[in-house]
Amino acid sequence: MSLLTDKATTHTDPSSLASGAAVPDVSRGARKTSFDVADFPVPHGREEDWRFTPVDRLSGLFTDHPTDGLGTGSEAASVTVQAPDEVLVSTLAPGDAPRGTALVPADRAAVVASAQTEKALHLTIPAEAELAEPVRLTVTGHGAGRRSNGHCVIEAKHHSKAMVIVTHEGSADHTGNLEVIVGDGADLTVVTLQQWDDDANHLGQHDALVGNSATYKHIAVTLGGAIVRINSNVRYAGSGGDATLLGVYFADAGQHLEHRSFVDHNAPHCTSHVTYKGALQGQSAHTVWVGDVLIRAEAEGIETYEQNRNLVLTDGARADSVPNLEIETGEIIGAGHASSTGRFDDEQLFYLQARGIPERDARRLVVRGFFADVVSKIRVPEVVDAVMEAIEIELSQATE
Amino acid sequence: MSTIEELNPGLKDFGAYEFGWADSDAAGATARRGLSEEVVRDISTLKSEPEWMTKIRFKALRLFEKKPMPTWGSDLSKLDFQNIKYFVKSTEKQATSWDDLPEDIRNTYDKLGIPEAEKQQMVGGVTAQYESEVVYHQIREDLEEQGVIFTDADTGLREHPELFKEYFGSVIPPGDNKFASLNTAVWSGGSFVYVPPGVHVEIPLQAYFRINTENMGQFERTLIIADEGSYVHYVEGCTAPVYSSDSLHSAVVEIVVKKNARVRYTTIQNWSTNVYNLVTQRATCAEGATMEWIDANMGSKVTMKYPACYLLGDHARGDTLSIAFAGENQHQDAGAKMVHAAPNTSSTIVSKSVARRGGRSSYRGLVQILEGAKHSKSSVVCDALLVDQISRSDTYPYVDVREDDVQMGHEATVSKVSADQLFYLQSRGMTEQEAMGMIVRGFVEPIARELPMEYALELNRLIELQMEGAVG
Repeated sequence: MSLLTDKATTHTDPSSLASGAAVPDVSRGARKTSFDVADFPVPHGREEDWRFTPVDRLSGLFTDHPTDGLGTGSEAASVTVQAPDEVLVSTLAPGDAPRGTALVPADRAAVVASAQTEKALHLTIPAEAELAEPVRLTVTGHGAGRRSNGHCVIEAKHHSKAMVIVTHEGSADHTGNLEVIVGDGADLTVVTLQQWDDDANHLGQHDALVGNSATYKHIAVTLGGAIVRINSNVRYAGSGGDATLLGVYFADAGQHLEHRSFVDHNAPHCTSHVTYKGALQGQSAHTVWVGDVLIRAEAEGIETYEQNRNLVLTDGARADSVPNLEIETGEIIGAGHASSTGRFDDEQLFYLQARGIPERDARRLVVRGFFADVVSKIRVPEVVDAVMEAIEIELSQATE
Repeated sequence: MSTIEELNPGLKDFGAYEFGWADSDAAGATARRGLSEEVVRDISTLKSEPEWMTKIRFKALRLFEKKPMPTWGSDLSKLDFQNIKYFVKSTEKQATSWDDLPEDIRNTYDKLGIPEAEKQQMVGGVTAQYESEVVYHQIREDLEEQGVIFTDADTGLREHPELFKEYFGSVIPPGDNKFASLNTAVWSGGSFVYVPPGVHVEIPLQAYFRINTENMGQFERTLIIADEGSYVHYVEGCTAPVYSSDSLHSAVVEIVVKKNARVRYTTIQNWSTNVYNLVTQRATCAEGATMEWIDANMGSKVTMKYPACYLLGDHARGDTLSIAFAGENQHQDAGAKMVHAAPNTSSTIVSKSVARRGGRSSYRGLVQILEGAKHSKSSVVCDALLVDQISRSDTYPYVDVREDDVQMGHEATVSKVSADQLFYLQSRGMTEQEAMGMIVRGFVEPIARELPMEYALELNRLIELQMEGAVG
């Protein structure tokens, strides 16, 4: 058979040659956001922002479907709020300000959760209030595979100071949007704890708008769940804002824990620091960290640094780590990122063992040391305790 | 300079790019535009190729048509495949003496200084490609006596069919990516290098690529095989005239580094700013082998180029040093790829980029540590220097680690030339421009010192040109 004369089977399709369609996004800031479900087709896993995620196991969270058991009193997940008296607790319908100020859905799961949440929880910390106690939100899942949508708006008015701790437990297929508005000069810390049962799936988009000279801290602690994917994003509403994104995660066999962040430096003289640390153990433990930073031309005088460190404890685990940095102006104080993945440092182990510390304890010390700096930045005693306790439990499972 | 300017009056306005002249162009003017089955068949027939090669070309053409354009990296939407000339024959016969070349082609290489370098024995062999074919070729006798093969790829296929067939497409298959498919379908020219076991080629082999005609597509194909324990350094340089519409350079470079061999591949890419430079380069490294890529991207409109090392044997090593300069209307999307597929492998990537006058430089990399690649080590360091407020610098590293027993690190910093640095140098009597040039040279020095001396000088000169008018 000669291919030379086999004309019927080859045809040059002009449309495939005249490229046209494929223009890459100009920057991370050009990625689509929308309130319209139709704008986000169900992901097939080859999209840039889904390429690490096992999307075939998340189809339940991509269908445009209300919360299971909605209005029956036995919803798929329940939310309890425990807040100091100063805090106003109310709800917001779609379109009610300030809902939609800080968060516009950026993917299929978030847009569905937004559209399917008729009454978003709205917490307001009044101007100049300093809360002595944290606000506690607890999301409890009531059954594996049951579908749950959530949207919560946290508004810290100007010059207030507060902490909000969101705890996720039980089991469900849950998508939770968290919209955070930090007023001028306010100081807000949001902690999100993922302590799900082994069969829960959780997708979350957490977007913050940081005001003039405001301070925002987002702390993600992810320990439980089958698939957890938290996107923590920051934009600035004025100059002088400071954002700190911290994360601690520990993935066991079969767990997929994914953290993404996007800091959009759209204003001058702001700072951002992103630090995520994670450990992995067991077959098919998979962690993903994608940290995007965009420094727009107008963001002069900013400073940013992001880092991710992974400690792989056993065979068969996989850590993906992608720090992306886009810089459109040279008038900045500094920008950088670092990422590393390693294993137990044999030398450290040897050093400790040589001093009579048994291997099991030595390993524990090395892992605690690995997490120490990020944990020390958390500065919330009860969260630190929860993290350290969880690490101890994980490690004792590992060495049994 | 005067003769160059006479040849091309537009050059003066362009400023920095000094290789922008064009020769008379009878061959290019009559060449056919567009890609079709006939074009591919004609190229193959003209070269009287064996049937297996023709078949691969057709297979690759179909793969090219089927594959979508990449949706990442640079904007390629203005690239019109049907406006490109896929094959331009500039001379009937390959020369082994510069005097045998048509006068204007010879003049071009004279201006580029290639015969001079050869005369001074600074290179072990020269191949010069003009449009689609290699027009000049020479190798030193002592190398030939040791069994070193250094020919253009077309001759390589003709004279060493067994060797060529064994390795062609073995490192980069026809369907690897859209542009590798395109190259496989219409490839012409390039180098074929074979270094026998234990032979060390001490002085670099040099290839020079020149595009002359407008809307040219240059698709050279280079295949380098370094047999066990051998060493070779291959250097390529590229220039083209300045035209108002675009040309395409889409090369494929395949390198096979056998046990304990070492290959160094240096590119000084200085295409004019109307050339899309979309190149696939990859090396496989066997046990104990070392591959070094030194990649300097100064020119082109758009470059997408990520030299790769597949570390397949124990203790294999890959190193990439990459520098990119992005000036006005330029996007350098360059980087490196390291795939660790065997235990005890190591890789380092050092990338330095400078963006100015609204240019965009991106580092895009991939480090993959596959299961079983125990005790592997990788380190990636990217530094970017910004000299003004309108330029752009991006870093897109990607790391995929599937083994616990490894060390992997990535670091990037972006800095700007500070007023302090400039003031310090200016207070010692330098002009602002000289000071800026010195700071930039200092920034890329770790890479410049890895280049052969004449290239290091050339690089410094290019930086000087690039930095001209950078201030004020």
